[in-house]
Parts: sequence; C-alpha cells; structure tokens
Amino acid sequence: MQAVGVNYTRPDVYGKISGKAVYPDDIEFEGMLYAGVKRSTIAYGKVLSINIDEIKQLPGVEYVIDYTMIPGAISHGVIFKDIPILVKDIVKRIGDCLILIVTNDKESLKNALKQVKVEYEEYEGVFTVDDALKEDAPIIGDGSNILYDIKIKAGNIDEGFKEALHITENLYCSQMTEHAFLQPEAAVACYDDDGTLKVYVATQYPHYDREEVARCLNVSEDKVKIINTTIGGAFGAREDINPQCHAAIATYISKKPVKVLYTREESIISHSKRHPMKMHYKTGVTKDGKLCALKARIYGDTGAYASWGMNVLRKAAVHATGPYVIPNVDIQALAVYTNNPYSGAMRGFGATQVPLASESQMDILAEKLNMHPLKFRYINSFEVGSNTATGQKLVSSVGIKKCIEKIAEIAEIKL
Amino acid sequence: MIEVTLKINGKMYTRKINPMLRLIDFIRDEIKLKGTKEGCGEGECGACTVIMNGKTVNSCLVLAASANGAEITTIEGLSNGDHLHPIQEAFIEVGAVQCGYCIPGMILSTKALLDENLDATEAQIKEGISGNLCRCTGYTKIVEGVKIAQKKIINSQEGD
Amino acid sequence: MKKRGVGFASIFYGTGYGNGFPDESRATAEIKEDGSIIIYVGVSDVGSGGLSIMWQIAIETLGVNKEFVKIKHNNTSMMHDSGTAAASRQTYNTGNAVLDACSKLKKNMMLASEEVTNLKVLYKQMVTKRIETRVEGYFKATTKEVNLETGQGNPYWPYTFGAQMVTVEVDDETGKVDILDIVSVNDAGKIVNPVLAAGQAIGGCAMGIGYAIMEEVFVNKGEIKNRNFSNYIIPTSKDVPNIKSYFVEDIEGTGPYGAKGLGEPVMIPTAPAIINAIYDAVGVRIYDLPATCDKVLLAIKNNA
Repeated sequence: MQAVGVNYTRPDVYGKISGKAVYPDDIEFEGMLYAGVKRSTIAYGKVLSINIDEIKQLPGVEYVIDYTMIPGAISHGVIFKDIPILVKDIVKRIGDCLILIVTNDKESLKNALKQVKVEYEEYEGVFTVDDALKEDAPIIGDGSNILYDIKIKAGNIDEGFKEALHITENLYCSQMTEHAFLQPEAAVACYDDDGTLKVYVATQYPHYDREEVARCLNVSEDKVKIINTTIGGAFGAREDINPQCHAAIATYISKKPVKVLYTREESIISHSKRHPMKMHYKTGVTKDGKLCALKARIYGDTGAYASWGMNVLRKAAVHATGPYVIPNVDIQALAVYTNNPYSGAMRGFGATQVPLASESQMDILAEKLNMHPLKFRYINSFEVGSNTATGQKLVSSVGIKKCIEKIAEIAEIKL
Repeated sequence: MIEVTLKINGKMYTRKINPMLRLIDFIRDEIKLKGTKEGCGEGECGACTVIMNGKTVNSCLVLAASANGAEITTIEGLSNGDHLHPIQEAFIEVGAVQCGYCIPGMILSTKALLDENLDATEAQIKEGISGNLCRCTGYTKIVEGVKIAQKKIINSQEGD
Repeated sequence: MKKRGVGFASIFYGTGYGNGFPDESRATAEIKEDGSIIIYVGVSDVGSGGLSIMWQIAIETLGVNKEFVKIKHNNTSMMHDSGTAAASRQTYNTGNAVLDACSKLKKNMMLASEEVTNLKVLYKQMVTKRIETRVEGYFKATTKEVNLETGQGNPYWPYTFGAQMVTVEVDDETGKVDILDIVSVNDAGKIVNPVLAAGQAIGGCAMGIGYAIMEEVFVNKGEIKNRNFSNYIIPTSKDVPNIKSYFVEDIEGTGPYGAKGLGEPVMIPTAPAIINAIYDAVGVRIYDLPATCDKVLLAIKNNA
C-alpha cells in the first residue's frame, strides 16, 4: 500500500514545532472584549442575590449578563440538557456558572470577578454514592438520584458458582481523576462578515458545539460557525460545553469580538471528571482453570449533572468481564447523582475503571490455581465465535490471544 | 508604568508597561509572539518556557520589568526562516509531537540542555525536560527526538 | 529494600458510541480546477493524529500523489457532521466515510479517463463529460441497544484488544513504586500510521501510570482541593520508563483497510498490570487506586 501503514509525517506538525499553530488563546481581534463567569462556591443551594448593580459600576465593565439575558436555552448537555449556562436559582455543584461579566481588558475582568458577592440559601448536599442511595437523601437528579441502572444477565449465576473450585470476592475502588490536558479552555467569538456568529474553540465535536450555541442564542444552526482551532489535548474533557456559549452570548449582546480564557484552576473546576467507581466483584473458576461465574456490582459517582454518565456506566458493565468468556454472569452498574463535580467522558470511558477489579481477580484466581497469570488469561480469552456477557458473538478481528502470545514470546513464558 | 527594553530573538523591544506585567504577557500581548504557551500560571508545567540569558525560565513566573535588558529566545527565534533547527527536525522525524501545546517549551528546554551539554545521557535528558509536562506522548519519543537532535548537531559541527 | 515484580493485564474495548446511538460520519471529496483534491471532513485532531489518518486513507483510496490531497476539517460551515473525536471512533467511523467519499470520487475520475496522469486535465475532462467532481461519503456504525434488565444485545462494534506486561520496583521501606519497563501489545486491526499509533500506545501507558500510582482529584464536600499541577501530580519524563509498543494486526473487514480505533484502549491495561506487579514484588494487593507510597507502605506493614 502507498499510504496506509506508512509513516507519513503528520501535516499539522510544522505549525506545532514552530510556534505557529493557532490555539484559541492565540486569537485576537481589534476592540476585543474579555468575558468570564463567576462560579458558585457552594455545592448545593439557592442563589438569593448577586450584587450585579455594583459590578456594573466597576471600571472596565461593559456588561453583566445573567440567565434572563440569554436569548435562548439556558442550559446545555450532551444527552440531557441539565447543565446551566447561567444558573437560574439552584446550584448543584461548586463551579456552576452564575453570571457572565464582560469587560474591555483582562485586568478589569479579574478585578470584577473578585468583587462579585453572592448570597445563598445553602442546602444539605450529598457527597457519596452511599448517602445518595439512602431513602431520605435529598434528590439531586431529575426525580431520583439514580441516573442509570443496567443489568447484564447470562446463564445461571447460582449454578455457575456451584461449578467453581475457587471463588474470590473483593471490593475495589477507583478514584476521581482529571484529564489535565496542557491547553486550558479558551474561546473567541465574533461576528463574521456574512452575519453569522463565529466561535473559535478547541473542541472534540464542532457540530455539537454549533447546535448548543445556536440553541442558547435562539438562532438557526446556519447562523453559527464553529472554527475548530488547534487543540491542546482533550481526553474527553472537551466534549461537554465549556466556554463556547459564554463567548457567543457575550458577542451576541455586545456585538463585539469576545474572548473567554480559563486559568488552570478554572479548567480543573469546570470540566467533567473520570467517574470514581466502587466495584464489588465475586468471581469463580473451575478446577480446569475456566472462568465460570461473575457477580459484579458497580457504582459510579456521576456528580451533579448527567453528562455521559449513562454511557460510562454501560461501558463499565459491558466490559466488566474483561476479554474472557464467562458463561454465567450477573452484573449491575449504576450511575448515581451527588453534589460532587460532574463525571463524564475520560479516555477509556468506564472501561478504564473495571479492569482494576477484573484483572486483579484474574491474578488472585491464577494464584489459587497455581497457574501462570498470563496462561490463565490466555485459556479464558475471547476468540472468533466467542460470546461476550451481552450475548454478542465476536465474528471477526479478535486479536486478544495474539496480544497475549506476543507478550509470552517477549517474556519467554510458556502458554 | 515603567519603561523596559528586552532583546527577543535578536530584536530590541522597548515598551512602557505595568511593573507587575509577567514576561509571558510581555511576549504574547505586547510583542504578539504567540508561540509561547501558558498552561498553569505557576511554573509547574513548563509550557511557557523561554531561554533568558542562556538559561530556561518559566515566563509566567518572571516579571517583564525584572527581565529588563535581558536576551530572550522564544520558539519563534529558533528556526532561521524556513530552515528548521535540528531539534525541530528531530522532533518531526521521530513523531514526538501530538497536541503540540507543550512543544515550544519542550524544544527550548532541549535547546538550553544541549547548548550546555551536547553529550547529555538519557538520564540527563529526562532530568533536563522534567520541568516540561506533556500529557500526550509519554515522553519516550521526545527523548528519542532529543537523542537524534544531539547527533544532528554533532554532525553539523563536524561539518563546519 | 527494593523488590522487583512483574504484572500482566489484558483488556477489550468496544469502540464507537455504541448501543444503537446514531453513530454517523460524513466526508466530502472534491477535485478542483487546479488539480488538487480536497477532503472536507469533521475530524477533530485532539493531538492523536486523526487528521493524518484521514489524509492517508484518502491518498490510499484515490491513488494519487500526497501533494495533491488536502484535508479541510476546521470550519462547520464547510464540512458535514462527523461526530465526536471520542470513543476511539475517528479512524474506524470517519475513516470509513472518507474511504466512501474517495472511492466514489476515484470512480468518477476513472469514468473520465482510465489513466490518470494530470489531475488538472482530468478535472477538465470530468467537467466536459458532466461527471460529478464533488461527492459525498457516509458511514454509520451498526450497534444495537441492549436490554436494561438483561443487558443482552450487541452494544459495540468493533472491539479493540490489548495486553501489557509491566515491571516495577517497590521500596518496602517507603512504599514507593517505580515503573521500570512496560511492554504494550495492541490489536487495533490494520495500523494506518505506525509512528502515530505507537505515540498513542506510549502516551496511553504514561496516563495509565498516573492513574495507577499518582493521580487523584481530592474532593471535600464537593470542593476540589487540588486545582493545579503543584498538587494534581501527573507523570513527568522521570516517571515514565522506556515503553515498547507492538501491534498485532488482526484485520477487521468492516474497517477502512482493516483498521479499528485505538486512542483509549491503549491506556487501560497499565494500571491493573501495575497493581498486579506490586503484588508480585512485595506480596500486597492494593484495592484502591491510586497505589500511592502511603497506601503501599501501610499494606506492607499490615501484611508483615
């Protein structure tokens, strides 16, 4: 082949090694304004008042925008539109956006944001999955604290464990983590010559951003252009909307180019996180070293907003077995609302968390069997024609045995 | 406001500035050289690395006023027109670049390291770039790129 | 005393949105009067090389010199929706849309002239013969929604696979874990650009090291305590060993030239392999990530 399988030099590299690649913060326009949001400092409660009139009088302040000034939808979200662009009254997490301040220079913006005073009526929040599932827990979600509940059942779990020579049962916990891409979020909005509103942003999905920006401005999508600049890493954190709508609203109201730029602190506070998960695993293996049963209960702290919580916990459930044939399974995965930072997409998306449990169980069982852990994996791994826990038949390109063979070859392990 | 003069990439720039203005803001906002990146604002990530009087500094931690009279090299000062610096060539060759945001700082840290110790060992290379965070590459190909750059520079010096 | 251990982990990973969620990609291929061929496609290159992958698939399919092919990918008014740069779906899904568009354009080019020598001339021939110079490509992944009570169904396709072997050194007096060596083997079908793919694999291991032994967002009553790199610690060049990456190419017939996605799965085996390696080294099992020095040391003390 001429081009596939060949090490072509990536076409974007020249800009990147010379400093010429344009990330959103590198964009400037004549007469550009600066905008930023004041974020909530409490995790759950009602906003009673904000000193907007005082802020308007501060030097350099051009506009102070609250939710009433948003021309269209006041919230956004990849599946459920539950994240406030600007809060109407209830805040559900630290970092919710309260008001948008537009100034004519960076320093005035910093100063104005410091002067914002917010009075809240603070509510008792929930901060653990266990608390959120209690009967008398405050309801953070839409009618329930359970955002998503999926079960995967195959075979007969009781019979499966009866076949087992060894069973191991353990609780595993994974932590919340941060994407930590190097380029903090930034966006620049302006009107194009043809009258469309243009937003320069580094995003994972420009067409989705266009839809959200058009929704919040109450204009048709053809009146909005998203220019996807060079992107300084993403790893899932640039899927939910961050500065896009704020920059667009500020330009819509001011009619001028506007830049929104996050500090590292604001970047970490604002965007989604990797779901922390609790994983109860009970796994059984027969005397021949074949996995025969898995019971798993997986709880993901999805935080204050839905984001991709359903999809992440589904992915955790589907991948709970690891790449192995297990004829009898009983898996349940729940995404649970709390007042923590919201969890969403991060590299591996639920399938990154569960292998802590499934692969630890594999080693524990291999030791009980007195079998090499790589061999134990090998004899249980999928091949063409295998069924996954969801009953899906793997019809092609099942390379797991080849991967293990390669490791065995390098490590000189007999499979 | 105070007046400062900095020599950046061989050119003198005199500006009246707020004494609290950071060097990175001087470079990006006053001189409009946008290749220097800000990643954290507190000297932890190294994206804003520039070379000041031969040594790397985090330009987010240096006040422009304190750099008065200093000689600064930014990523824009590295290549000569279309002629790339050997470090840049090496980074392209090995595939050391992904999102690219850390790369200007990474290249300048490499330059300062190799200017001082062209024969740096792998451990010294890893030490030399340890102040520059990269979330994409896992550093392996960057280290490989630095080694190739060493060879390129040595070869070009032998050719002189 | 410093003790060495080796750990293994293997994983599978369903790529694409999955679960019957409309997973569509679109691309437009156009030959221009100046003889250049432009591919308009909504690929976001987050650093992973998606732009290069689309370019290479286009060049392969068109069978023309790479200098003539350009990708336009950054303006929503110029290209159709190709979905997210997420779910490790760009190479497979959007790559298939580029393949579709370029196959159609190639067909049209062949209609105008069996032998393509000069693209400017060919463009004129296509216009004269009223053959379309601009064509649309499309791809939709086939997955099915699973039943919420039984989970039965075909939630993802295709699956990518991987296995890793990690060697660690654990200081049993301090609990400090050093990663000495990682071997990463992945099956992502045909590899479109080996250097870029290795870059993903190695970068994934580095992120996996952070996940295994370093990183945690500390939250107290909903408040993130560590908000910068001074206290949210990610791996530096000194924390990441030399990583060896291999690909076994188990060709996926529905993928563009047999390719599957790989951006995410490459990071997944690292953390569990490290946890297993720690056990191999010092005989303690860590059940809570990350395996920080204090956790490892406590486990060693409790085990004594």
